Amino acid sequence: MSELAHDTAVSDHGEHESTGIENRKLGMWVFLSSEFLFFGALITNYLLYSNRGGFEGVYPSEIYDIPFTSVSSFVLLMSSLTMVLAHNAQSRHDQNGARTWLFATASLGAVFLGGQVFEFTEFIVIYDMTLSTNPAASAFFVLTGFHGAHVAIGVIMLLSLWGMSRRRGGLSDRQGLNLELVGLYWHFVDIIWIVIFTVVYLLSAPPT
Amino acid sequence: MSTEHTTDHPTPSQYWKIAVVLAVLTAIEVSLFYINRELELGPLNAVLLISLALLKFVIVVGWYMHLRFEKSLLSRFFTAGFLLASGCYLVVLSALGIVVIRGG
Amino acid sequence: MTATAERPQTTIFRRPRSTTGLWSWLTTVDHKRIGIMYGYAAFTFFILGGVEALLLRIQLTQANSEFLTAGAYNALFTMHGTTMIFLFVMPVSSAFMNYLLPLLIGARDVAFPRLNALSWWIFVFGGIFLYSTFFFGTSLPPVGADGVSGNLAAGGGPGSFNFLASSPDGGWFSYQPNAGPLYSPGTAMDYWALGLQMLGLASLVSAINFIVTVFNMRALGMRLLRMPVFAWMTTVVAFLLLFSLPIIAVALFMVAFDRQFGTVFFAPTGGGDPILWQHLFWLFGHPEVYILVLPAMGIVSEVLPVFSRKPLFGYSAVVFAGAAIGFLGFGVWAHHMFASGITPVAQAAFGLATMIIAIPTGIKIFNWMGTMWGGRLKLNTPLLFAMGFVGMFTIGGLSGVTHSVVPSDWQQTDTYYIVAHFHYVLFGGAVFGLFAGLYYWFPKLTGRLMNDRWGKFHFWLMFIGFNLTFAPMHWLGLQGMVRRTWKYAPETGLEPWNVAVTVGAFIIALSIAVFMVNWWTSRRRGPKSGIDPWDARTVEWMTPSPTPEHNFTEPPVVTRLDHFWHLKYDEDEEGRPVRRPDADQLLERLEYEGYNPKSPIHLPNPSYFPLTTAIGLPLIFYGIIYHTSSWGKALIVLGALVMLASLIGWGMEPVEEPHVSHDQDHDDHRNSADFEPAEPEDV
Repeated sequence: MSELAHDTAVSDHGEHESTGIENRKLGMWVFLSSEFLFFGALITNYLLYSNRGGFEGVYPSEIYDIPFTSVSSFVLLMSSLTMVLAHNAQSRHDQNGARTWLFATASLGAVFLGGQVFEFTEFIVIYDMTLSTNPAASAFFVLTGFHGAHVAIGVIMLLSLWGMSRRRGGLSDRQGLNLELVGLYWHFVDIIWIVIFTVVYLLSAPPT
Repeated sequence: MSTEHTTDHPTPSQYWKIAVVLAVLTAIEVSLFYINRELELGPLNAVLLISLALLKFVIVVGWYMHLRFEKSLLSRFFTAGFLLASGCYLVVLSALGIVVIRGG
Repeated sequence: MTATAERPQTTIFRRPRSTTGLWSWLTTVDHKRIGIMYGYAAFTFFILGGVEALLLRIQLTQANSEFLTAGAYNALFTMHGTTMIFLFVMPVSSAFMNYLLPLLIGARDVAFPRLNALSWWIFVFGGIFLYSTFFFGTSLPPVGADGVSGNLAAGGGPGSFNFLASSPDGGWFSYQPNAGPLYSPGTAMDYWALGLQMLGLASLVSAINFIVTVFNMRALGMRLLRMPVFAWMTTVVAFLLLFSLPIIAVALFMVAFDRQFGTVFFAPTGGGDPILWQHLFWLFGHPEVYILVLPAMGIVSEVLPVFSRKPLFGYSAVVFAGAAIGFLGFGVWAHHMFASGITPVAQAAFGLATMIIAIPTGIKIFNWMGTMWGGRLKLNTPLLFAMGFVGMFTIGGLSGVTHSVVPSDWQQTDTYYIVAHFHYVLFGGAVFGLFAGLYYWFPKLTGRLMNDRWGKFHFWLMFIGFNLTFAPMHWLGLQGMVRRTWKYAPETGLEPWNVAVTVGAFIIALSIAVFMVNWWTSRRRGPKSGIDPWDARTVEWMTPSPTPEHNFTEPPVVTRLDHFWHLKYDEDEEGRPVRRPDADQLLERLEYEGYNPKSPIHLPNPSYFPLTTAIGLPLIFYGIIYHTSSWGKALIVLGALVMLASLIGWGMEPVEEPHVSHDQDHDDHRNSADFEPAEPEDV
């Protein structure tokens, strides 16, 4: 019965990672790869309508505030730096560093969200461009809105990690992996914004 | 677990340098937007802007997300999602008669 | 099971402890129990969808029938399609995957047991949410320019079913703008869009879970190319779900936003593009077709070798053909849209891609026939259903190829020819395959055998009923009988075959009743199956039946494809299998050890949080439908709070409580040398 060799370790812990990648990390990457399809559909939707002429009302491309959005894009980009520094500090067991950088990341994310709220308010109140003005406006609000929702979920996760890291002893190794996973999510949200910033804002064309 | 690979990972000072590169790339992107307003670069503008965005994308994924330092299985999954999304939606957009690259 | 050890409770809440009774099912994270619940829920929806189909058939039996109104007919075919696809075939496949995937790859559970429970609860709440439209929804007829609603009012009219006035009526594809706010006022379509959103979320979570399970949880030596074909098809389906569900999620969000928040994505008057909906829907919808049929292909690939007493012919060809079908499945969506005015280039390209997909499908069919060829066939019920699958699926596949010829497709679009085609694929294919699996793995589930004579009776009734129902639809369609239309004129001469179709549908219903009786009596009184009733080949039969809670006392160390078979059989000089003299001893030992582990086995603990997290979702979605009212807003907040609280509880609760006496090194066991991965992955 050599095929049924007794390996006590195996019998005690049926689970082991065949690929050598931790389950949750593999799961996060798999999830992120599917998010491309999600945001891809929203961007496609925007590209279809953004400069299709003949609708009533203001088009988003006519009222973008490029300097303002450039600053908030820069803020989100730099939050990726603070995120990676938090992860680096955690992996060096530098609990203070991890705590500080986590909070910095959450704050930068909150600043970005604040900028988005300001931008939406400006568009709705001053320019009278709402969700139902025309398909271009609908597509703009839904695309950037879903991205904002992702950022908001990220901020909540960062703040929960930050809260846990304030406890005595800081984050355990297991929670350190959580930090890495939240980091992956956060960077992903950032790269989606890199694409949105270019495709939606910088490359916006007037309606034809 | 993941912390085992730490030795291969960039150091904090490298992370800062990468951030500087990203910031410079963003600055170039924004200035291109204004240059294009004056000079009407046409398709070149779109090509440049998309290349810059892809460059930033690759830097963040490769270094900040550590994909360069991970097992190749992860990058295969990730690339598969990206390529599938790009391919399918490009076909949708061309079938709907949208010129994808518009030169401002 | 007695094998599990007592553990201290480390969370602030007491963890659920019940091992029997209602609470044990509500809090279970055991993949086998979750699979069983999926199965029973799916079967319940199968009966609902079947009743809907029978009502449709009664209406169509006679020309100019007044049994249903046009609106009621719309409601019934919408719910029939939606139910059969999203609430029957998908979850019953999910039942097989949940129950079997860990067993097939020699694992104790899936990678994320609590996420698995979350998927199940989101699915069941999504299904209930969708069906609650019958109680809460409203489906108002659009009012035309002259202020007349035509005959589309679902309520009223002779013989109509008034509760159908509250059902979605836009078809399972919900083409826009017909299903938009202008032409489908009322809340029923919102129930549809948001209900599907929940079902999609459930499947997405499962997909991630299954992918990680397959890549990370295999037993030692279980290389990817030693996995049973069903595990492979599960993997392919998981990737299809992973990449196609986000697309429909966005599309459904767009519909919901159009209907609820005044966006104008598909509003024709506002400049919206209805063709965008068709692209997004079919970009999801075509992979969905393979999501429905690939699990059945996997089941058949397990059943045929066992009952032919031969290895699967061309294992790797079957696996790669399955993967190729999955990949190509993303490149053919526009063949559903040949009549929508897409460009000739797109028509040619998608027509060709559709023809190409017939190649891997053909490879599979020939491999299945090669498996049976020269085998000593045991004509038990599972084999009959598997053979039925191969035959009926081939017919459906061939009529599918006729659609790739664009001019021919224009002729067939929206006729009963299409209805015949996809029922041959999804009923003749998927459902026959799933029944093969139910008969084959019933002993694994219950430790008993199903009655074979009743099983064969079920098969022949269903086979005859199926062909009587769907074969005539081919020529009805070619004669011009139009899909989704509630009436036809007597002059068309379509009536005789429609009578035959209806008779066939009732024969199918009878066969399902036979199955249910057989299932129910065999569960209690069937003969004991023992550990290996079919002389099987794959490792799930190396553990006793019914499966103990811990699956494997000793996870198998796999040395080759069909590992279990090779433990029982040697080859003689001419390559014929010869049963090893110690095979029966091996089975006895496996059966004894399976139920009597030497040391306690630690399993993931049950948890309340998957259930409570899932409860938050329907609350939020009900709130969205009624968001204009204050209680609607309150529901959204309440649902969000329930989810947030549950997720916090979830995050603070370890998967497995620390063990009392045993192994202090538990936390770092993964770093020990014993747990180096068996071999790096090449595939």
